[in-house]
Amino acid sequence: MEEIGKRRVAAAGAVAAGLAYFLVCAFPLQKELVLVPAWTKSLDQAPASPSPPKNPAATSAAEGAQIPFRLGERFGYFTPDGSILFAEAASYGVAISPDAFATYERLSEGFSIESPEGEVLAHVSSVGYPFFDAGRHFVIGPDQTSVSELTKGGTTAWTYQFTSVVTAFDASSSIAAFGLMDGSIVGLDGSGAVLLNFAPGGSRVAGVYGVAVSPDGVIVAAVTGLDKQRLIVMEKRSAAYRVAYHRYLASDYRRPVAMAFTADGRLLAFESPAGVGVYDRSSRSETVISVPAASRLGLTTREGKLMVLLSGSGEEKRLVCAALPDRRLFDLPLRAKLAFVDAQSDAQGGSIFLGLDQDLVRMDLRER
Amino acid sequence: MAGYRCRPLAVAAFAIAHAFAGVSVFAMDWPLAPPRIAATFGTLGKGRVFAGIAFSADEGLVRSAENGELSFILDESDHRGILPTPLGSFVIVEHQNGMAAVYSHLAPSSLSAYQRKPKSGDVLGKTGVSGWIEGPGLVFQVFDRLSGSWVNPLLVLPPLANDKPPIIRSLALSHIDKVYVLGETASLPQGTYKISADIVDPADSSWIVGPLAPYSIRLSIDGVEVVKEVFDVAKGEKGRLMLFTGKPTAAAELRTREGRYSLAERLFTRGRTTIELHVEDAIGNKRSVSWSVLVE
Repeated sequence: MEEIGKRRVAAAGAVAAGLAYFLVCAFPLQKELVLVPAWTKSLDQAPASPSPPKNPAATSAAEGAQIPFRLGERFGYFTPDGSILFAEAASYGVAISPDAFATYERLSEGFSIESPEGEVLAHVSSVGYPFFDAGRHFVIGPDQTSVSELTKGGTTAWTYQFTSVVTAFDASSSIAAFGLMDGSIVGLDGSGAVLLNFAPGGSRVAGVYGVAVSPDGVIVAAVTGLDKQRLIVMEKRSAAYRVAYHRYLASDYRRPVAMAFTADGRLLAFESPAGVGVYDRSSRSETVISVPAASRLGLTTREGKLMVLLSGSGEEKRLVCAALPDRRLFDLPLRAKLAFVDAQSDAQGGSIFLGLDQDLVRMDLRER
Repeated sequence: MAGYRCRPLAVAAFAIAHAFAGVSVFAMDWPLAPPRIAATFGTLGKGRVFAGIAFSADEGLVRSAENGELSFILDESDHRGILPTPLGSFVIVEHQNGMAAVYSHLAPSSLSAYQRKPKSGDVLGKTGVSGWIEGPGLVFQVFDRLSGSWVNPLLVLPPLANDKPPIIRSLALSHIDKVYVLGETASLPQGTYKISADIVDPADSSWIVGPLAPYSIRLSIDGVEVVKEVFDVAKGEKGRLMLFTGKPTAAAELRTREGRYSLAERLFTRGRTTIELHVEDAIGNKRSVSWSVLVE
């Protein structure tokens, strides 16, 4: 009897300890992220060209709400609520940003810059191809060795002749960084003055395959060289950019490499053979988010820490979504010849905008 | 002048050897066979001085000019970045002696991405229409990594079959809106004049489909050489493309609005003046013309 009593006491103690564990050490489960389809719109039903605003005041209030897209020859703007402003076919090329676009011919000797509503903002008579970034308008010359910046009125503010072919570019409002085939990284300010001219070296073959500039213009990062390829991160201290971090990479890319900073400039995402490398500016450390398929088609970190990218080739593509720095949320197989992706974060999670051949799709990330 | 002095011996050596021997010094092969040349180094284009050699070909295989290593490849049909690609579909191959060659405007989707170390003659892609090019063809440029300058490809390619000297179409002196074409005018008022020349190299050969740029232009006034432009190397310096050998010249200042070679600005004082123009092509064919004008 005494033996049975001991066992009962031990069992009661175990139950009490278990209850205490559940009560004291309870840890709430993370909310589940779900992908909720919001809308699908066909480009074929969208206006084929921009229509001037009926109420200019309403247009200025809505500025910034339009999201630009490019799907093969077609380009245009849509709003997060699913209204497609237009879907036009460019005869050769288009430069497009949230606030302006310009179509151009193969032998472009001039073009018009238009607002998303089709209002002509400037006529430009420059030889070369336009490209827009960070609210700035540039033209690259036919030899791909010179770049001009345009004023808001469309005149040439400055022209810079580089030593060799421009192979990479990114800009903020304060610096435009260009990577060259000779391995140099040149940063120019709004007047065309040189802020940065640096050849990292350290590889058997010099070259620049990708450049990214943080939105505040303080950090310029680049993937450079062959055998071995390097990640170089330069930080502006006082007036000059100095190398703050560098590492030899396992990659051997001989094509443009996708790189982008998050909107707060804290994290840098860049292509790597294992997936997407993520560099944390504050801790100067790296993590990797593994991504299936080797070919990366696009990568965006437009808002918050939400990163979306398209990988794959031909009609077999995958949409990969991650919460930076290291949490892969999902990857989704897609079947489309042409694809486009963009994303926005919001308080509830975020929205992913996909272009798939003839359609635009919005999907919302929601916590449950 | 700093850029001229610091050019490495390699470029200076083949420029000098070319000047004396009139032959190519390095053994690159034509990247396109048969080569049909549409423009050469120094050709004046739309707001620019061309720093390569352009070939015209409806259909053709673009071959590696020498053994090398592919260091960059961009296919216009796959390109999705913000930065446009006026060079269209192009590859960069690292050749010997620190020379890198840019093969541009290839047919989209024709590039051979998996051939990392092409041998001389290996196919890199097909000629086509991509980027800023008027018709199907290839633009071939040679970059000297050691000096950071573009090299005239005719210095490193087999010599052209051409025995015709360049043609000096005209030499003009202009002052504000008044233009005096030498040969048509025997006298002009004293003053400061801009001197410009219209020069082409006709090159009587089935290889050549357009008038080419001369290799060198020398201008003498009263027996004193005042201008020597040699189209051997060009380099981006301080944000401008400079032509070297002789007096460094900003390439953008070499072209007049009318598409002529802008050579000098000189003060002409009273008296008789003799102006001589000596032009040479890449093979060594030469032409010299002199004019005598009375400055009143």
